[in-house]
Amino acid sequence: MVMKKPKANLNGFSTGTEIVFHVILAVFALACIIPFLFVVIISFTSEESIRAIGYSFVPQSWSLQAYDYVFAMGGALWRSYFNSFLITVIGTVASVAICVLYSYPLFRKDFKYRNFFNYFSFITMIFGGGLIPTVVICKTVLGLNDNYAALIIPMLFSPFNIIVMRTFFQTSVPMELIEAATIDGSGEYSTLTRIVLPIVKPGIATIALLNALAFWNEWFLSLLYLNKNMDIMPLQYLLMRMQRNADFLAKNASILGADAAKAVRELPSQTLKMALVVFIVLPISCAYPFFQRYVVAGLTIGSVKG
Amino acid sequence: MKKFLALFLALVMMLGCIGIASAEELPTITIMFHGSNVTDDTAVLEKVNEYIADKVGAKLEVIWGTWGDFDQKAADALLMADETVDMVFTCSWSANEYNTFAKNGYFVKLDDLIAEYGADLVAAIPEALMQAATIEGSEGKGIYAINGYKDVATQNCWDVNVTLLNELGYTLDDFKAMDFYSFGELFAKAKEVKGDSFYPFLIEPMVLERMVTNSIIVAGDSGSTNLLSLYLNPEDVSADGAYGNVLLNKFATPEYQKFVEKMHEYYEAGYVDPALAVAETSNDTRTAAQLSANYLIGTQSYALGYEYTASAERGIEVAFVPCTDPYVDTTASQGAMVAINSASNYPVESFKFLALLNSDPYLMTLLNYGVEGIHYTKNADGLIEFTEARGTYTPWTNGMGNVTILPDTAAEGAGFRKTFVEFYGGAKGIPSLGFVFNNTDVSNEMAALSNVAAQYALALDAGAVDPATVLPEFLAALDAAGMQTYLDAANAQLNAYLGK
Repeated sequence: MVMKKPKANLNGFSTGTEIVFHVILAVFALACIIPFLFVVIISFTSEESIRAIGYSFVPQSWSLQAYDYVFAMGGALWRSYFNSFLITVIGTVASVAICVLYSYPLFRKDFKYRNFFNYFSFITMIFGGGLIPTVVICKTVLGLNDNYAALIIPMLFSPFNIIVMRTFFQTSVPMELIEAATIDGSGEYSTLTRIVLPIVKPGIATIALLNALAFWNEWFLSLLYLNKNMDIMPLQYLLMRMQRNADFLAKNASILGADAAKAVRELPSQTLKMALVVFIVLPISCAYPFFQRYVVAGLTIGSVKG
Repeated sequence: MKKFLALFLALVMMLGCIGIASAEELPTITIMFHGSNVTDDTAVLEKVNEYIADKVGAKLEVIWGTWGDFDQKAADALLMADETVDMVFTCSWSANEYNTFAKNGYFVKLDDLIAEYGADLVAAIPEALMQAATIEGSEGKGIYAINGYKDVATQNCWDVNVTLLNELGYTLDDFKAMDFYSFGELFAKAKEVKGDSFYPFLIEPMVLERMVTNSIIVAGDSGSTNLLSLYLNPEDVSADGAYGNVLLNKFATPEYQKFVEKMHEYYEAGYVDPALAVAETSNDTRTAAQLSANYLIGTQSYALGYEYTASAERGIEVAFVPCTDPYVDTTASQGAMVAINSASNYPVESFKFLALLNSDPYLMTLLNYGVEGIHYTKNADGLIEFTEARGTYTPWTNGMGNVTILPDTAAEGAGFRKTFVEFYGGAKGIPSLGFVFNNTDVSNEMAALSNVAAQYALALDAGAVDPATVLPEFLAALDAAGMQTYLDAANAQLNAYLGK
């Protein structure tokens, strides 16, 4: 087969394949975007419209009611917003630091107790303590009760991330580089911070993104460890509580009778829930492009070329 | 490094001293409530602690459980023997179910404490409620929780939009002469007047089923979708029903079949909103339609005085027409209790507090309605009017204990609590009052059966599917999932309970 024009892109596929791939990816992208778009639309829909025709992409009438209510919630909302940010930032920084400092020695073949520490973390992926013992230990022995630490510390150490990070070290940092640094007189700490870390930035970005997401979306720890001090409740838990309240009342409406009817009336409306979802999703989706820069960079850079 | 060590040790010593210092203060007792909406309790607890310091000899802290998170928190606290939670709400329908948890030793047996410190309490709570709380627990027969004196009787009512009823040319007396099977004419008229998109029959399908067949919830039955029926005698709730004291497969009786057939007819005629037949939308739809007065006949489990609240909220005249006399069953008579955690370090102080809360109007009002001048004010007639701050402090009134000692609010009207006592105090118990089905031996069957029921029951009760084809299918699926085993176990226990 003779081509008249040279291919514009040597690594490209044939036009047919390109079209098929584009269609598949477009469908996938839409499947990700449309639900969120729907949430945004519902949050701007008026209650009357939901009553009349239910959720719809084209509501009968629009309204800012839900957002008015959210802003009127004032203190409680902004507090939990702040808590979510605080927990996410501290949690992400601390957990990334722990992850890197734990996985780096595991990658170094000259570390004597490598195997032991490897299994030490790995074994927790297979055998867990179970919910109740874990909570008892955290609450009574470690004092993780009604404080920020309770929402951060249980999630700091993730064996999965450590395995990912260790593998990343193994594939992107050649031992030769570390040997070269040692010969040049670099100490262990300086080798880690000056030589190794700049190379594994993409790996760190990936871990950081995973951790940030995990901390931002966390509500179960709040359910377990927050009893009296509701001031430190994160945003996710605020939303989750509304949802659980609604579910519970729906389930027990017939037993609670008029009490339930009264309580249901005090619950936030459908549109308000969606408005809160928008509030929750926006900040974390802004973090994506930032991390993505490093993740993409990780595909193209390396320390030893050839 | 040494400096740090010295500093650290100094810090430890200081903390140690603080620990010793605080040990001399009053102990703190903690209570966990259900269904609250409280964001700021500082003012209230300050007053409470001032008041109970001498009387109880402890300081109070409250964990304000919400509807959604109470079940998890309470069960966790009890299962892990959390000594920081001294008292906890319990009842026949929450996850920390009274009878099971008492049997397994999670609650303190209160009989001795009642004998020693409970004189006021015994005087304040009716004998019948004490009896309802007396069960076979871990330390033998006794009382394991203080039963709240609240709306202890159940009465299912038709919720009638009287304004619309009159508009259609009927009076309330006309309506009272009708029953479920003769509503058709009324609905047809409503459809004709209000247009095709109007749904006159605003129902809670499961409640409607019980109303029409005069059956009740059996305590201990699957909570999500009831499987068992016990038929009442609608003329006299304390006498035996049509089948006697026998538990039946809810879906296999001729009464049930007759009900779902009629319901399907109503549904097909467009009298019922299809959204009511779907579990996810049912509650929201019903609330919305109620609030906008967009219905003719609804269903409501009655609470005394609710017609006034409902009329005011909906901007129409609402009447509740009862199907039977109010009756007291196990579910309702163990509807809101407070137990003492057996892991508690301060059971005596906790009990003293509970006894005081249930017998002292000042403390109950304070904890329930808030601080006078902040959360409420009293109007010229001495009735309570809530202020805006009540929004940050709204506990679940009925979940706290003896609500009959609360003062009347302006919304309820003067004399409300007196009527309340007469109404609920005079309610009769059903013949099997006190029976709780212990489902531990058949929990596998129950799980399988409730899955089957969840799939069919709501749609059938709402009339959305044709019983001619679906009901036999449903019954076959129930049989396959072990309905007979479940039923036999339940009846064997009921017979043993009744001494048959």
